[in-house]
Amino acid sequence: MTKRITHIIGRIFFWFLVLLVAFYMLFPFYWAINSSFKTENQLQMTPATFLPRDQTTLEFAPTFQNYIAVFRNERFQHGLINSTIVAVSTTLLSLLIGSFAAFALGKLRFRGRTPSLYIILSMTMFPQVAVLTGLYAVIRVLGISAIPSMILSYLLFTLPFTAWVLTAFFQGLPDEIMQSAQVDGATPLQTFWLILLPLTAPALVTTGLLAFINAWNEYLFALTFTTIEVDARTVPVAIALFTGEISHQEPFGEIMAAAVVVTIPLLILVLIFQKRIMAGLTAGAVKG
Amino acid sequence: MAGLKKLGELQKSEERLAYLLLLPTLFILVAIAIYPLATVFYNSLTDKKFASSQEVSFIGLRNYRELLSVTVKELPPVIDADTGEVQIDSETNQPVYERAINILPREPFRFRAMKQFNLFGKMYVIGATDREFVRAIGDTLAFTVVTVILETILGLGVALVVNANFKGRGVMRAVMLVPWAIPTAVSSRMWEWMFNSTRTGLVNVVFQNLGIGNGQIPFLVDTAWQIPAMITIDVWKTTPFMALLLLAGLQLIPKDLYEAADVDGAGMIRKFFTITLPLLRPTLAVALVFRTLDAIRVFDLFQIVLQNTRFSMASFAFYNLIDSQTMGYSSASSVVIFVLISVFAVFYIRLLGAEND
Repeated sequence: MTKRITHIIGRIFFWFLVLLVAFYMLFPFYWAINSSFKTENQLQMTPATFLPRDQTTLEFAPTFQNYIAVFRNERFQHGLINSTIVAVSTTLLSLLIGSFAAFALGKLRFRGRTPSLYIILSMTMFPQVAVLTGLYAVIRVLGISAIPSMILSYLLFTLPFTAWVLTAFFQGLPDEIMQSAQVDGATPLQTFWLILLPLTAPALVTTGLLAFINAWNEYLFALTFTTIEVDARTVPVAIALFTGEISHQEPFGEIMAAAVVVTIPLLILVLIFQKRIMAGLTAGAVKG
Repeated sequence: MAGLKKLGELQKSEERLAYLLLLPTLFILVAIAIYPLATVFYNSLTDKKFASSQEVSFIGLRNYRELLSVTVKELPPVIDADTGEVQIDSETNQPVYERAINILPREPFRFRAMKQFNLFGKMYVIGATDREFVRAIGDTLAFTVVTVILETILGLGVALVVNANFKGRGVMRAVMLVPWAIPTAVSSRMWEWMFNSTRTGLVNVVFQNLGIGNGQIPFLVDTAWQIPAMITIDVWKTTPFMALLLLAGLQLIPKDLYEAADVDGAGMIRKFFTITLPLLRPTLAVALVFRTLDAIRVFDLFQIVLQNTRFSMASFAFYNLIDSQTMGYSSASSVVIFVLISVFAVFYIRLLGAEND
């Protein structure tokens, strides 16, 4: 009997913990959603309400005006387009270039393989801020505008990671595949394109997703390279510098609406590809 | 013989192909990492200004001396000229000390007072030539140590909960990815709103209900609250990532170890300390250093939430590049960050090497 009671108490405690964790992780985002549906006046209500409520009747009264304002905001529209261009291009480039390198490192024999691997591994930890001034100088010499600059500079953190994870994946593929393709007269490059690359599709999706999310969220380079070219600003920069159309005070209702708008697509991606993302996140760090 | 020759040729062509395939990656990494890094090292030794045609001159380690010079000086008590005794402040009843500005050296750079403290009855002052950067180093290191410790403990707790077998485990894991997936720029603004300095800010409402403050705490302006607020935001954002890494480590632990411990009648706590913790050690070590490297270069959070009122090392470098346009000086601060991170990275690679042996 006592054993059953302790079991029940244990279960209750456990579920309490589960709910606590879920609450902690979701609450700030819930608060952003809540605030995004409030008018400027509702935001000023004290104490703050947990749902958008009418100031006098206290009835549930959400407003869509923040969302309308955000979608009418040209800076934000540009931001969405710029972010999409930058993140998609960075992802495709790093997958293409990274898979070449990964194939060489994972499946071909050549001198200098181990040092190359070490260089790429150490690059995955490279601090972006350390090259900030130098990279800016390179970009000015190349004379390229802000969007290609961002795409090029984002490869600094997406390419080494992609190459590293894909190398591990290529190494995991059995050598027999390559050998039998060679016996059939395929060149190594043909084997790579026609046989190995399709096999790595799951790893490409995983690393591609992570590269996309990292590029979508990047702030330091985007802020630096768009200081002059304001139209090239990406979403994180637009949100960080968000100012309202009308009010002089920080328009937190609109900022929260913008925050929700840019986060929803990411959350959908994350929910669909949950397992892949987790595999990718841990692939770089945890090796059995 | 002919076969061997052919084999050699095959090997050579394989090698050529490998170099060809590696070339784009190496070329890009040289162009966007290694060459810029070399430029940063070089610029850090000059007085280069950003976007200016002014002639650049080589100034050696001057930038570093200006960034990092710190001194501690004793402040002598003021002697009354008439009585020959130590002057006593009539209001506080404390001895009057010489003003720091008269004591701190002015050459080659002017030292400014950061903090005064009393030790064994003597008054001292800490002076620095760049108060902002020295403070940024201290703040960044404190931020790093506290966030990494909190994230590890909380992350381990969350990982243990989610590792258990229960209905809704999949949902919980998805929930854990939410803070991680939100861009830092966005989460910074979300928390900025929650930390608002009036009762419209949620944290102020909660604190007031708990009897802390009067509902008007300016968390992001008050120097005593700034760093704790930064830590709160970062811990929320990054604990899930830590938990996911540790969860992957937990799943590598063979289940039969726990079954064997059950047979021996070991309790939960005993199992945690004799099985879970020792076997999780490699993952824990890797996760710890990963997070440390990330926390030292924190930028988004400080730059967005604290604007230019207080800096992390990275936001200091950014401010000096874009706002002050002192490229050489900014480069020197970047080099300091790079060196700090490299020290940790070398430690990390050693650690991994030791685990693999």
